[in-house]
Amino acid sequence: MNEEYKKKVHKKYEKSLRKGERFWPDSIYKDLLVSFAIFLLLVGLATFIGVKPEPKVDPNDAAYVPRPEWYFLFLFQFLKYFPGSLEWVGAALIPGVAVLSLILLPFLDKNPYRHYSKRKVAITVMSLIVVGIVALTGVAVATTPPQEEVAVAGSISEQIVQGQDLYSVYCVECHGAEGEGGIIQGVEGLEGVELKPISSQDEMYTRNDGSLFDIISYGQPNLGMPPFGTSFGGELPPGDIDALVAFMRYTWDDRAELPPEAAQASAIPALGPDEVPSYEVHIQAISKRYCVSCHRTGKKNNNYLMGTYEDIVSSGDNAPVVVAGDANSILLQVIQRHAVTDANGNEIGVMPPTKELKPEYVDMFVRWVMAGMPETADDAAALATTATAAPEAEATPTP
Amino acid sequence: MASSNRVSRRDFVKVTTAVLSTIMGAVVGLPVIGYLIDPALKAQKSDTWIPLGPLENYPIGKPTLFTFTRSKVNGWEKTVNSYGVFVLQKSKNEVTVLSNVCTHLSCRVNWHEDVQEYICPCHDAQFDADGKVLGGPPPRPLDKYEIKVEDGDLFIHFVEG
Amino acid sequence: MWSKVYDWLDERLGLEDLYKGLLDRPEPHGNWWNTLGSASLFIFIMQGATGIFLTVYYTPSPDHAYDSIQYIMNGVAFGWLIRGIHHWGASLMVLVVFIHLLRVFYTASYKYPRELTWIIGSFLFLLTLGMGFTGYLLPWNQRAYWATTVGTSIAGTVPFIGPFIERALRGGTDISALTLSRFFSAHIWMLPALLTALIGGHLYLIMRHGESQFPELDD
Repeated sequence: MNEEYKKKVHKKYEKSLRKGERFWPDSIYKDLLVSFAIFLLLVGLATFIGVKPEPKVDPNDAAYVPRPEWYFLFLFQFLKYFPGSLEWVGAALIPGVAVLSLILLPFLDKNPYRHYSKRKVAITVMSLIVVGIVALTGVAVATTPPQEEVAVAGSISEQIVQGQDLYSVYCVECHGAEGEGGIIQGVEGLEGVELKPISSQDEMYTRNDGSLFDIISYGQPNLGMPPFGTSFGGELPPGDIDALVAFMRYTWDDRAELPPEAAQASAIPALGPDEVPSYEVHIQAISKRYCVSCHRTGKKNNNYLMGTYEDIVSSGDNAPVVVAGDANSILLQVIQRHAVTDANGNEIGVMPPTKELKPEYVDMFVRWVMAGMPETADDAAALATTATAAPEAEATPTP
Repeated sequence: MASSNRVSRRDFVKVTTAVLSTIMGAVVGLPVIGYLIDPALKAQKSDTWIPLGPLENYPIGKPTLFTFTRSKVNGWEKTVNSYGVFVLQKSKNEVTVLSNVCTHLSCRVNWHEDVQEYICPCHDAQFDADGKVLGGPPPRPLDKYEIKVEDGDLFIHFVEG
Repeated sequence: MWSKVYDWLDERLGLEDLYKGLLDRPEPHGNWWNTLGSASLFIFIMQGATGIFLTVYYTPSPDHAYDSIQYIMNGVAFGWLIRGIHHWGASLMVLVVFIHLLRVFYTASYKYPRELTWIIGSFLFLLTLGMGFTGYLLPWNQRAYWATTVGTSIAGTVPFIGPFIERALRGGTDISALTLSRFFSAHIWMLPALLTALIGGHLYLIMRHGESQFPELDD
């Protein structure tokens, strides 16, 4: 680089300044508009797309597909093409050389010209790199399996509600819906085992959240409780166990106050005297809490499942277990503590086996079946209006 | 002509800059104020009856300290707070329950049997067995809890927030 | 009244000189591509501001990091907005800085006398990626944990010193509380300090040499 070249560069720059503009207000105006557009974009993204909730760290989750942030995806994909022994070439050597050449570019590119037509090599190389990065990113995105959706509780109230749902599925069959314990009935391998209550003051005052977490995660193998945490071969990731602990603590510990939102969200809706219960609003809330722990796949339950409307109405070895309008339906009999026998003469015990349902819940089931088992709240409302409208029409005196 | 054009353009950019900056400042600035003061606006309320055990456990004529804990959610953290109350059964079934928090600056008062007074260790406030101020800086008597007795068990009405 | 205040301040601060030196500078005829640098600076400032506000509630410990972010998102008024801007701002900043880098490359603006501006700029780009990498771990969620596991393992493949670099990045052999707190420190103190200093240098050099003109046929 000689002095003459430098002089030429400066002269040319001065010439371009003469037909140029001022930083203020000309450049700043453009900068401002672009910044404002970016600002609107950011606020829009934050408002309308937001940040996707992610589950808490679980180092034992073997099913998780690790992926870096999108701008590192190309590097991630790049590494797939290097066999183990050459890993360092893709991971360290090539990126290292790339970074160094990026930094030292002004010394590597000795070409004195600036116009595109005189920099064909440089422009081609850079364009190929950019195309490569974009292509690698594209391939990485296309080949990434979608991440499994996991329910993520946001607030403590949501956590408590999520915990209650989990408790209803995984714990109720042995510990009872209120953690009351008692003699286990109908659970394979634990038939007749007596459990102490887990919701008592003794339990709640002497076990902190950490202990509760560990008990659920590791189980109590010597007492028959299986491990539930993914760390010990169970099904529940740490976030779910946290939710269970939150549910137990806020529901059973009398020193803690259940947040009103959680109490409201987990309450089983009350039924007015003339209201017709629906699956969606009432029956599901009851079955979810008191029944599904046993009446789900993989449990001893005569193949009667209670997870969905269809299952409740039509599944099971003794199907149909409920018939619209039939007060002698097996389901209604057993929850009213009448043991019945099936077609083969086997006895179907009373349900739930240990602790009977509250009378208002039994009443909801009876009224639901007798009204015709409406699935949605709208169906139920329709039935309610026709039911009340009919006698009215009859009562109208005919002249 | 050219120069007056320049000036008006300059003013136009000035106004635009001011307007856009104000919009950006307001769109982020106002929510930020809400964001910062939010916890101050959300006091968690408590309104419950706390069991203090059988009334007969409390000796007549001598204030007895009873401590209990309540847990609350503060942000993402459960906070377990301890509370102390002095239960004084003056005569059979005539009970006063006083908070042990000094009404001056929230130090915890102690019962001194020898002088029959509650004394605060911080600024030497003195209260009598009924919580009335006998001396020192406190602005008002010790806080009294509403009580009830059910099946021989004593309860206090715990209200906060 | 205001003119008096202005005069008083001008006498002490030299506002008139500042105006002449900083704002009333001649420039080559502008182009919309030239706004990317100031756009990067704008996003950096936004990230700085929202980041500072996030630290009001965020707690860099494995026990509380996740819960505190959940609280920011669901418990605090407008927490979702602050975090949303910070989250998307990070992606956008990488994108804008990268396109800015490409613009400078394609217009050959890194050539004499602006070589040093380019070198500082490429460090700014690397630091931006570093901010992305360190910030990614802070929410302490599955994504964060696994991405950092893989990211730090990549450093481990460097011949000879790789395993040492990996341990140094992680603060031990595992992704742990130490990793989280050192990433936090890097993300909110070390890297921003470096970024700020280098941005200062970058801007000084731009003012010293002026904005480059778009190349013409005879350049």
